[in-house]
Amino acid sequence: MATDTAPLSRAATFRTDDTVARVRRVRTRRRMRAADLMVVAVWLSVAVAISLWLAYGGMNQVTDPASAITALGIVTGLVGTDLILVMLVLAARIPAIDRVFGQDRAMALHRRLGRPALSLILAHAALLTVGYAMSDGSNVVAETIGFLQSKDLLLAYLGFGLLVAVVVTSLVAVRRRFSYEAWHLIHLLSYLAVLVAVPHQLSAGGVLAEGTGQRVYWLALYVLAFGSIGVFRFLVPMIRSARHGIRVAGVEQVAPGVVSLHLTGRNLDRLHTAGGQYAIWRFWTGATWWHAHPISFSAVPTATTARITVRDLGRGSAAIGRVRPGARVSIEGPYGVFTDAHRVAPKLAVVAAGIGITPIRSLLEHSPLSPGEATVVLRGTDSTQSYLWSEIGALPSMRGNTVYTMLGARPPGLATWMSAEALSRGVTITSAFPDLLRSDLYVCGPQAWTDLVIRDARAAGLREAQIHVERFDW
Amino acid sequence: MTVTTHVFNTMGTTASLRFAGPVPSDEVLLQVEDAFAEFDRRFSLYRADSELSRIATGELTLAHSSDAVRDCYRDAMMWSHRTAGVFTSHRPDGVLDLSGIVKAAAIAAAGTILDTFGMPSWVLNVGGDILTRGSINGSAWRIGITDPDARTSLLCALEVQNPRQAVATSGTAERGEHIWRAPATSDTLVRYRQVTVVADDIVTADVLATAILAGGPQWCDDILDRFDVDALTVDDHGGITASPGLREAASLILG
Amino acid sequence: MRARATILGALSSIAVFAVGWQLGADGQQSETTTSDTAAGSAPTSTVTPSADAGSSTATPAPTPSASASETTTSAVSGTFTGTSVHTRFGDVQVQITVQDGILSDVTALQLTDQDSRSVSISNRAAPILRQEVLSAQSANVHSVSGATYTSNAYLTSLQSALDQAGL
Repeated sequence: MATDTAPLSRAATFRTDDTVARVRRVRTRRRMRAADLMVVAVWLSVAVAISLWLAYGGMNQVTDPASAITALGIVTGLVGTDLILVMLVLAARIPAIDRVFGQDRAMALHRRLGRPALSLILAHAALLTVGYAMSDGSNVVAETIGFLQSKDLLLAYLGFGLLVAVVVTSLVAVRRRFSYEAWHLIHLLSYLAVLVAVPHQLSAGGVLAEGTGQRVYWLALYVLAFGSIGVFRFLVPMIRSARHGIRVAGVEQVAPGVVSLHLTGRNLDRLHTAGGQYAIWRFWTGATWWHAHPISFSAVPTATTARITVRDLGRGSAAIGRVRPGARVSIEGPYGVFTDAHRVAPKLAVVAAGIGITPIRSLLEHSPLSPGEATVVLRGTDSTQSYLWSEIGALPSMRGNTVYTMLGARPPGLATWMSAEALSRGVTITSAFPDLLRSDLYVCGPQAWTDLVIRDARAAGLREAQIHVERFDW
Repeated sequence: MTVTTHVFNTMGTTASLRFAGPVPSDEVLLQVEDAFAEFDRRFSLYRADSELSRIATGELTLAHSSDAVRDCYRDAMMWSHRTAGVFTSHRPDGVLDLSGIVKAAAIAAAGTILDTFGMPSWVLNVGGDILTRGSINGSAWRIGITDPDARTSLLCALEVQNPRQAVATSGTAERGEHIWRAPATSDTLVRYRQVTVVADDIVTADVLATAILAGGPQWCDDILDRFDVDALTVDDHGGITASPGLREAASLILG
Repeated sequence: MRARATILGALSSIAVFAVGWQLGADGQQSETTTSDTAAGSAPTSTVTPSADAGSSTATPAPTPSASASETTTSAVSGTFTGTSVHTRFGDVQVQITVQDGILSDVTALQLTDQDSRSVSISNRAAPILRQEVLSAQSANVHSVSGATYTSNAYLTSLQSALDQAGL
């Protein structure tokens, strides 16, 4: 079923296709360059960590197997700690990183670095114990006991234990047993673990000795990592929330289990929210204050209003629907790369399912679309999942563009993103989106369904850079 | 408590064994003396028929010598390794001389015998190397350290506290330089005349005292860093240094 | 991972390693020169001729170990700083104070931690002032440790006096 709207005259559009394409190219190139620099910075930080030891003259101290093992122990400690600091920076939700990579990719790297970082720290402890035992002519037990006598090293062991606890609870199998908040609290112990290890880094060994440039650099790294967290996860959100004074204006039941929260505030347009972005919200009522939720804007904020739409997904979210008007709201963000600014291709293909409509709606609202540029497919199992669909057709930017709806369950036993009815009619991704290979594909919906869409898109030959996915699960 | 002293000659020197409290029977004392005699028989280079002399002349090879000799050789090698060759069991002419470790090994063996017979309090002094057990009248055994310049005078006295029960002194004073010194390095501006080491066991104390004496101040620092011992040194100007554990002890005492 | 980023990262890493290596090598050289300087300025030990006129020994010759620096005939006083020594607890640099050619004080300068740490890590021997020479009786000792004596020498030794008194 297609919904056509009367096309606007061409004269009404104020940008030609060429200008738009050029702007997009420039923006993309700038983003790529920034991405490259960030990646190089990470590699460099590891190289510098090793170089700290080289500059200290570490190579000259390797004279026999025992000193070689000790030296390796020192280097693994330096590199492991550097990786941990990188992980902290990745988790700090720095806007620049978000604009270039997106929080989901930053957190994916954060998770991937966990195992090597911990292995390196473990190797650091083990190699140093063995190396010193060999050069002292004693054994690892005696050395460990000796280490434990020192206050700073005792703290370092404690930090290591905390790290192990954090990593173990982050393993997927263990994480499922905890509620998100409990898991998160344990995870925050990692900050403590990192700080507790600092005294021994500054007092044991000569690489970071007092008065050296190495020590200055190392401390600067810590300031950078913890400073980023302090600024972007605490300071900025607090200031922003205070400045905009966001409160709940009303709660609207949009569909069974789905609510839209209408928010009011001051100068909300100064948040510079792009359509398709989300923010991390905290509702200050008794039951909900300790949950923080990533929720997409379902409409682009005006100066005084904003709207977010969320699905009941558990005890925490359920409580959101019961938040009363007047409740204070604090915001962290906005974040997200699911925006028009990240487009690279001339055409636009959009697929949304269920709650995935939320960022799609604000994306489409915010995009300066020409007639015929966009094709939208709205997917739902039944009519209870068709909330906000009517708004899509009414968007000014959608004039002259096509919206398809696809209602119905998928064929049982078949892994496909389409409904049984559409499949039986021979609909494919390329038939749904006529100019797919020259389009940006924006997909949002339940995770498994989204993966199937992407699978089809890749199979059709669509490049990675043209595929944009909003995931709610990072 | 009565104090009884048993004195006997062995290994070219004199041993003084003093008890506070129960005194062992004569058989036990005899066993102790025999232990020393056994070591002397095997290791003395002053006796032509000792195993070590026979090894020196080539009549016996180390590989065919008794277990006791090979064990002692192995220990000497280990100590040589741990002191990076400063303590060495070979004379400059290449002859194997285990005298640096044998006396202490014999003292340790004697100590084991006395422990086996349950003697709680004694001090065994063999030519200036001392091993103690227990206490006297409730207070610790007090050991004096000879002044190398005046052998009938003391530099200081120290109280022996568990577990540091062994005191060994190495010096150039009495019998001349029997310490095979490692070649002097350019920064041995100061040389030691006498070194006393207090350790948990007598072999460690004896070897390290020898090593520090031979190696000089740089080695003293290194050894004190690596081993859990205390040391007091006297250099050839009469200057005295002491490690933290001995500092209070060494600066005390009159009356 | 984009190719450009990887290549750029690899190249800059190699550059960083090269700089670090060079700094390490330079640091080693400067340390050797410092140690020469320290050794050279430490006081020579033996050549002060004593003031007693009765001494008719031959002109004192410098001992081999002091030959590195020039012989002076006056004793040296002053403060000298030695090289930094890397220990697992950090770099330790020591300052010695010399009074009339005799080491009178040793201070640890560069430790990477507070003083309480220096006590726990340093088992090193430091100079102590010599008290008056003691006699065995007044010190109330039970046994005497000294360099090994022969059985003959024992007879006139302090230990034998103690042994006899003990019996």
